[in-house]
Amino acid sequence: MEFKYVPTTCPFCGTGCSFNLVVKDGKVVGTAPFHRSPVNEGKVCQKGANANEFVNAHDRIKTPLIKKDGKFVEATWEEAYKLIASKLGQYSGEQIAVIGSARASNEDNYALQKFARCVMQTPNIDHCARLCHASTVEGLTQIFGSGAMTNSISDLADTNCAFIIGSNNFEAHPLIGRRIMQAKANGAKIIVCDPRRTATAKQADLYIQQNSGTDIALLNGMMQYIIKNGWENKEFIQNRTLGYEEFKACVMQDKYSLENVSKVTGVPAEDIKTACEWIHEADKTAAVYSLGVTQHIVGVDNVCSVGFLQMLTGNMGKPGTGVNALRGQNNVQGACDMGALPDSLPGYQKVSDAAAVKKFEDAWGCKVPAKVGITIPEMFETFDKEPSKLKAMYLMGENPILSEPDIAAIDRALKNVEFLVVQDIFLTETSEYADVILPATCYAEKDGTQTNTERRVQKLRKAQEGPGIAKNDWQIIADLAAEMGHADKFAWKNASEIFDEMAALTPLYGGMDYDRINSEGLQWPCPTKEHMGTKVLHAEKFNGMPDGKAKFLPIEHRSPAEVTDAEYPFALTTGATIWHSQSGTMSRRSESLNNECPRSWIEINTEDAKELNIKNGDVITACSRRGEVNAPAKVTPDIKKGVMFMPYHFSESRVNLITNPSCDPVSGTPELKVCAINIKIPKEA
Amino acid sequence: MAAKGDMVYAWSTNEDMLAKGECGGAVTALLKYALESKMVDGVLTVKKGVDLYDAQPVFITDPADIAKAAGSLHCGTLLLPKLIKKYFNGAKDMKIAITLKGCDAMAMYELAKRNQINLDNVLMIGLNCGGSVEPGMAREMIEKKYGVNPDDVHKEEIDKGQFIIEYEGGEKGIAMDELEEEGYGRRLNCQRCKLKIPRQTDLACGNWGVIGPKAGKATFVEVCSDKGAELLNKAEKAQAIATEPPIPKGLEIRGKIEKSMFRLADKARAHQFGALGDGEARLKFILDETSRCIKCYQCIENCPICYCEECSTKKSHLVAHGQVPPPFMFHLIRYSHIADSCINCGQCQELCAMDIPNSLFMHALQVEMEKMFGFTPGINMDLPVLALVEEKTERARLSSTGTDQIFNIFK
Repeated sequence: MEFKYVPTTCPFCGTGCSFNLVVKDGKVVGTAPFHRSPVNEGKVCQKGANANEFVNAHDRIKTPLIKKDGKFVEATWEEAYKLIASKLGQYSGEQIAVIGSARASNEDNYALQKFARCVMQTPNIDHCARLCHASTVEGLTQIFGSGAMTNSISDLADTNCAFIIGSNNFEAHPLIGRRIMQAKANGAKIIVCDPRRTATAKQADLYIQQNSGTDIALLNGMMQYIIKNGWENKEFIQNRTLGYEEFKACVMQDKYSLENVSKVTGVPAEDIKTACEWIHEADKTAAVYSLGVTQHIVGVDNVCSVGFLQMLTGNMGKPGTGVNALRGQNNVQGACDMGALPDSLPGYQKVSDAAAVKKFEDAWGCKVPAKVGITIPEMFETFDKEPSKLKAMYLMGENPILSEPDIAAIDRALKNVEFLVVQDIFLTETSEYADVILPATCYAEKDGTQTNTERRVQKLRKAQEGPGIAKNDWQIIADLAAEMGHADKFAWKNASEIFDEMAALTPLYGGMDYDRINSEGLQWPCPTKEHMGTKVLHAEKFNGMPDGKAKFLPIEHRSPAEVTDAEYPFALTTGATIWHSQSGTMSRRSESLNNECPRSWIEINTEDAKELNIKNGDVITACSRRGEVNAPAKVTPDIKKGVMFMPYHFSESRVNLITNPSCDPVSGTPELKVCAINIKIPKEA
Repeated sequence: MAAKGDMVYAWSTNEDMLAKGECGGAVTALLKYALESKMVDGVLTVKKGVDLYDAQPVFITDPADIAKAAGSLHCGTLLLPKLIKKYFNGAKDMKIAITLKGCDAMAMYELAKRNQINLDNVLMIGLNCGGSVEPGMAREMIEKKYGVNPDDVHKEEIDKGQFIIEYEGGEKGIAMDELEEEGYGRRLNCQRCKLKIPRQTDLACGNWGVIGPKAGKATFVEVCSDKGAELLNKAEKAQAIATEPPIPKGLEIRGKIEKSMFRLADKARAHQFGALGDGEARLKFILDETSRCIKCYQCIENCPICYCEECSTKKSHLVAHGQVPPPFMFHLIRYSHIADSCINCGQCQELCAMDIPNSLFMHALQVEMEKMFGFTPGINMDLPVLALVEEKTERARLSSTGTDQIFNIFK
């Protein structure tokens, strides 16, 4: 009997915990603690603990599938490659859209963006970071010169005050929630701002229940109060920032007085004062945020405003401070780093920078489109509204028919795709639209790296063989490139060769090579072979900024794209539960997870429920201007009156039928955190 | 010929093992012999994983591989018995030798009495244990207290009340007392532990009491069962090991070490349990701490007492599904089902995603219940106070004998 432990990194959220996969006679049969990860120190949440359960699910895709007469038929790799090569060969570069995957490894995403740019000659590559933290990447780059979490997970435990806004980390990033609880145990004050009294909010010393979509008003109000009291860090502002006077003039306007902000946000002025006092009194304050900040039409401005609070109070560049954007999926940071973005080559080297493009052209030995491509929302909008412009789509490991807002529009768009290739580990709701489905190995079946939210590059280690004739994502892409006449540029033998090629072209990863990544990982930027990685960004200066200084900007509060009115009187917000991940493709196949949380729900404030005559458990219909969806009501005082909440994991109760596709104009991130709805009560049958 | 109750100094006759193994490599030699002689089909033990701070379970079937697992790892905080239940079918269809610290040994008995492990098929090699150190904390301690880069350490040991490290360019020891006062040192449950020499195994092995010319070159072996005597005698006969009687003074020292550890444990218990408070204050403390629970189930998954196919915490009429934090009933079920049998292995605390001091709560309850009912878990096959009873069986027992398990408890 063979029995072994294989340490690897979790495939669920951006925390990047490690655990051992327990392998018995060549098959993954369980997980076990791996104590040597500095991220989670042997502890895991329920998703990590059960991350073995979906690996050998009976319905993994085992062979390529080609749609013939509306039905999927098993095919050989050769047949699949030939068909895809001939079809994709018919289109010219910009007629093709490519979507990478925040689930897949760095190597997979590097290979895919290289395939898009090099073989397909299309600038149109993006991935689901668009949906979550594109606002972070844009916002933090604007003001700090780097679009990533500034600090490290472990140093959250050393903060004296955690200012958490729009992050339910207890459920979405539990092992980061743990660090915040360690800080609390050491005496830190915890402030949580969220329209829902989440599991995270219940741990707070001060809970601020602002109206959805009023974050800038809240933050500007706080900053005005801080300045009025003379609590700003004048030295930091003087030495390390620019643009303070214009910014100050903006936040000092009367509309951001405590009294006015209290009206807009629905938060008592006393609580706003208390938050400011605690931040002022704390030696170190760490700001923590997630999708509650980014998924708004003002996502980028929200992100900047969180940054300004930290700049204003000098809480930057030291352990226990900073702007801690918690990234969603296991490798959404890495997929961005790898250049699965329409404006960036690997390492955020811009396609608009001729020198960067030239560098990649020389290295790859091919032309690279020197043009900013279109984002995912633009891709689907084009397929929907102007199908003559976009013809084909290559989609790796994403499920947009569940994850994108306004699914009716996505449905129309996907139906308009002339040729759709979907590469995944399971059949998904999206793969139903495909012409060809390609079977990929999952995290437990491959070597490679992924990068967590604190920029830590960690290894995935192969524990078992993939199902049937499934292949690694990067291998599929390399094979296809070879079929299309580009074998020489994709001649990798393993993940290590891909990583090393990428690192050589990517200064942020420049000092890394595959063999350097040990069980503790390595945090970028890591510019040289001797460099030990970077725990805290911006310690001395803001390297990505032209003059090394962070930039203040005047930012005004703007209302959400869709506000409540007489017809649609409730604001709907969306989010995750601890039991599931994203569209549920993996977590809902885990019996342990799905048994605990088998269906969707809609949270309604107790008073609202009373007025609508809704009882806990009643199935009700939530309707917006775009559609409607049914779910059982969860009546709770934990959600703000006038606000409702639905999770987004459930294909049988798709909240994105009703969400609003309006996007932040800069980041293209849709406003999934607020739209206007009304409630219908289905008549008894 | 050694017999149950005997004590010997033992060492490997193999040069390589003498050098690599701890204290003369007797344990390594015994395990190798057990495999070679087909006394067992496999050996479940612990080896160094990615580094000194990573203990990894390993299942060895080839005697040549035994050397891979040689040496001790004080940062190894694993509990092996549940692996036998989960991945080796409870040793029901194969013979397994296993190395066991005190908590492991207790876990073996608690799982065995619940029919989860077949002890007849298990050869238990006990290892004296003064406590282990959490890997993450060990690294922090070495960096901050010792001023040494933890990656430079190539050996650590606990000896004469000190945690000692050997590293590039030196050796450094700091008294455990001092470390523990500052919140470093052994796990909190280890500090409370009073099972230092696992005599409920077949052979209890360690270095305490080895003095004179054999100091550091032999293992002190206490023969605790006939099965243990058989292994020792056969291994000696096959010249896999050599033995000699212990020096009487060594015996005395071993006893003193054990006693001093009990004293330390009593002190730790008084201190830690005392901090819990009493009555309502204790309840409030427990309620506060457990309010962080995210219901990851690691306390249940890793508990050597938990074995139920249908866990009550997963029944929605008792604990609402999907709720985070779960209702307090989740924890009450754990306390009521486990507390009488808690062996203080610490897994529920060490692996808790939210650092809830679960083991402290449970152990405090166990100690109280032991006083009330006289049941000590983990030392033999006696059934626990709250053993699962089959109603029909008990009714039949009651009608035929006039007594049953439940009523007897309260006599």
